[in-house]
Amino acid sequence: MLVFVLSWSGVVEFGFAGDTKTPVIPKGKGDHCVAETDYMRRNHMDLLVHQRDETVIRGIRDEPFSLVECVDCHVQRDAENTPIRVDAKEQFCESCHAFVAVKIDCFGCHAAVPDVASVENAGRAHEYESAENNSARNIQWIPHKQLLSFKQENMVSQKKTYYRNHNVHSLIKTN
Amino acid sequence: MYTASSKPTKSQTARRHFLKRLGVLGVVSAAAPVLLSVARGADKKSTGIKSDAVSSKHRWGLLIDTSKCASGCDACVRGCHAEHGISSTGNDHTDAQWIRKIDLQDNLTGTLSSLPMMCQHCKTAPCVDVCPTGASFKRADGIVLVNKHTCIGCRYCVLACPYKARSFIHEPITDQQSWAPRGKGTVESCTLCVHRVDAEEDQQPACAVACTNEAHSAILFGDLNDAESEISLAIEQGQAHEVRSDLHLNTGVRYIDL
Repeated sequence: MLVFVLSWSGVVEFGFAGDTKTPVIPKGKGDHCVAETDYMRRNHMDLLVHQRDETVIRGIRDEPFSLVECVDCHVQRDAENTPIRVDAKEQFCESCHAFVAVKIDCFGCHAAVPDVASVENAGRAHEYESAENNSARNIQWIPHKQLLSFKQENMVSQKKTYYRNHNVHSLIKTN
Repeated sequence: MYTASSKPTKSQTARRHFLKRLGVLGVVSAAAPVLLSVARGADKKSTGIKSDAVSSKHRWGLLIDTSKCASGCDACVRGCHAEHGISSTGNDHTDAQWIRKIDLQDNLTGTLSSLPMMCQHCKTAPCVDVCPTGASFKRADGIVLVNKHTCIGCRYCVLACPYKARSFIHEPITDQQSWAPRGKGTVESCTLCVHRVDAEEDQQPACAVACTNEAHSAILFGDLNDAESEISLAIEQGQAHEVRSDLHLNTGVRYIDL
């Protein structure tokens, strides 16, 4: 274990001697991270796992180790000031993870670029489009088995035909 | 191996000293996170967000007045989708549905009514019962959620839910909102806008805000544990009904005039 830790610190801090190319890690925002850099290098995954359980299960959100804040500080921007995903090649997360061959699962679900809004001003309920443009999204009830048998290409017309012919449980709106 | 009476050799003494030093190192490393957390306390950002854990002091729910809900209006659905970054994948038979608008007709009287149907946030939730990993869970404040970190996508909960409230995500998603993580291979449903509930006092879910913006005000967010809240009063007066009350699930979402 000790040998592993020493060799790991060697990789990150001093680089391998010789021909191994070490990751180039883009610099984040501000002077320092939420904890010492060495500590974060070794323990960020444990902090994130701890924080995620606290947040999802117990609803504690005012903690410094949220993934949203990682992304906020460590995201890079291109020439047009558009944020680049932190899990893109050679970006903050991926540069190191590619080097140590550890796959990141975070960004399959989590946003990999900062949002315009964050938790402080969450809620964009005022941004709805007009009702007329969205009648298609007025989702209606169809028995699941029947739905699966519909062909993709003429889904809408088949749905309408189905509604007309099967007045199942009177749950269905025909239009 | 030596006994307690035998004198340790020189190499054994050296080994002991080494182990002692290692022990001290261990204590220091164990204390490091504690010291760090003390140091962090100073520059912790104050975001105004509640930092204490949720408790069973509240039980959040919705009171939906179906007499105010207009047939053909889907403001709540759009509000929900905008809030959580839900967009169509092009395969509308597998698209996520956190809220559905349903039109009902009574076969005897011909009476029409319209209502939004979403996760009913049951007190004894079937989705929680059947989940093999414990990913489908009920928070202390009554909000039923999916912990996507432990969801394996088996979809037992989708089958168990009598309200068809859950959706499985079949395709990769890349444009999530930062407050609403969603991803392929997991199940999801209405979270009662848990990020808003946690953010500040008196925050309404997006569907309720959208409904109010459309001047219907059919959806009212409230605390079932507060005897003075409108939802509690409506329940007490026998006006707020559960859908499928025969299942005795004690739902957090109640309907008036159904």
